[in-house]
Amino acid sequence: MRVQRMFLPAVLLIWSIVVFIPFYLVVTMSLKSPIDLQLSPLSWPSSLQFANYWKAWTQANLGHSFMNSILITATSVILIVILSSMAAYPLARRTEKWSAMLYVYFLAGIMVPFQLAMIPLYKLLKALHLIGEYAGAIMIYSAMGISFAVFLYVSFFKTVPREIEESAQIDGCGPFRLFWVILFPLIKPISSTVVIINSLFIWNDFFIPMLFLQNKAMRNVPLSLFTFTSEYSNNWMLIFAAVVIGSLPLILLFILLQKHFIQGIASGAVKG
Amino acid sequence: MKRIGFDGVFLMPAFIIFTLFLVFPVISSFYYSMTDWNGLDSTMEFIGLDNFQRMFQDKAVWSGLKNTFIIALLVTVFQNVIGLLLALGLQGTGRINRVMRVWFLFPALLSPLAIGYIWSYMYNPLFGVINSILEFIGLSDWTQDWLGDKKLAIYSVIFANIWQWVAFSMIIYVAGLQSIPRDMYEASNIDGAGALSRFKHITFPLIAPAFTVNMVVTMIVGLKLFDILFVMTNGGPGGATENLALMLYRQAFGMNQMGYANAIAILMFVIILIFSLIQVTLLRRREVEY
Repeated sequence: MRVQRMFLPAVLLIWSIVVFIPFYLVVTMSLKSPIDLQLSPLSWPSSLQFANYWKAWTQANLGHSFMNSILITATSVILIVILSSMAAYPLARRTEKWSAMLYVYFLAGIMVPFQLAMIPLYKLLKALHLIGEYAGAIMIYSAMGISFAVFLYVSFFKTVPREIEESAQIDGCGPFRLFWVILFPLIKPISSTVVIINSLFIWNDFFIPMLFLQNKAMRNVPLSLFTFTSEYSNNWMLIFAAVVIGSLPLILLFILLQKHFIQGIASGAVKG
Repeated sequence: MKRIGFDGVFLMPAFIIFTLFLVFPVISSFYYSMTDWNGLDSTMEFIGLDNFQRMFQDKAVWSGLKNTFIIALLVTVFQNVIGLLLALGLQGTGRINRVMRVWFLFPALLSPLAIGYIWSYMYNPLFGVINSILEFIGLSDWTQDWLGDKKLAIYSVIFANIWQWVAFSMIIYVAGLQSIPRDMYEASNIDGAGALSRFKHITFPLIAPAFTVNMVVTMIVGLKLFDILFVMTNGGPGGATENLALMLYRQAFGMNQMGYANAIAILMFVIILIFSLIQVTLLRRREVEY
């Protein structure tokens, strides 16, 4: 009995440490001097080298890629929210056969691995002159995000009572005003889930920028980090300083929104 | 009539972007897999099923397939076991539980690229943290070249991946656990059930929907793992961590074999499809209503 009662707390304790060590390593490494590297990797830096951060910021050109990341992430996420919520509304409300078929059409996208679309996308973007353009990556992220967002919005719209719409219509409210003024504020919980999940993926992604935004001026934060590390392959202090800088925006966002974040993942996954 | 007009305006933008940038590429990938396109020339020749024939004769594809399965299996098993244990420990609504859940989620916020760098350093044989810890606690014999050893490398990468994502599984299990009505446990307490039998007969059957989601998602993620392999080992040492996703990337953008790479992509897709369908059918059968 005692063994049973100790088992779960022991697992929690061990996993807390397993999560802690790499974070401790990143932060202390990013503050070390080259001489400190000779010491044990877990030792505290003998003097705190905040200059590493400044070097990483300037040499990895992070200011510029921050702007790119913000632009790409924000535009894609806004598009996903607007397009998916609008599309989900008729899909949730119409009972005709076409609506069910279209719904399945959108859902099928969840199953598809990106690798299957990757090579034709390369050719398509080349033909549309969208390689090395923000718009190319934004369109790909939007297309990838729509499926899951439509799925979440449709299930949520179905829980919104029709009476709200009917009474608005009687008051002479047109469909666009009805959607934006009345319904859109109601679906905020799902919108925050969609925003968080997609921001997380798009901000951290380096694969799509690597294929389609190679141009130095267009790089996002992870891709800058990637190219930076091949130039400074053994300068771990600078690499980890850049890792910290690149991760901070999402960590801050997460701390602000963690309640929504956790609820969002939970409701998105289990209610489906 | 008017209603259809408005529906069209609401649906069209999403439909066009989704079709043009996802559905159309996916469908045309089947065509490209039957061509010899090299990605550079604008011309390509239709060569039927030659790419698929070549694929099944390619020894590298078979070893990549084996690695793909090893990764998917271990990620699925361990991410669910650890995730469920963490969730069982932290299912309460108290403050400590919430803080710990947030703490465990931190790794999931980092770019897989960052995870790759961090764990490459953790695993470094000369000055890495893991070997230092092992030496510190007197287990010097256990020190290894974690990423350089052909047998070990794949497990090292799998662990780093589980480290990053296990809290996602945990959160989904917590949601499942919290949806179990409390009176179920009270009834079992009255019947005098022990912790293990309570888990077996109440908790486990009742979190079946969360279990289904977690199993399917972790398996799919495992089958198409790319980023972290690309950063940590790039398929090495000597192909020991090469999976289908890495292989098709290399064929497409390293060797300009776009047609052949697309054939590998289709193999990957078929595998994901078959395994997801099997899992969903088997697991849905286990789900109970209450």
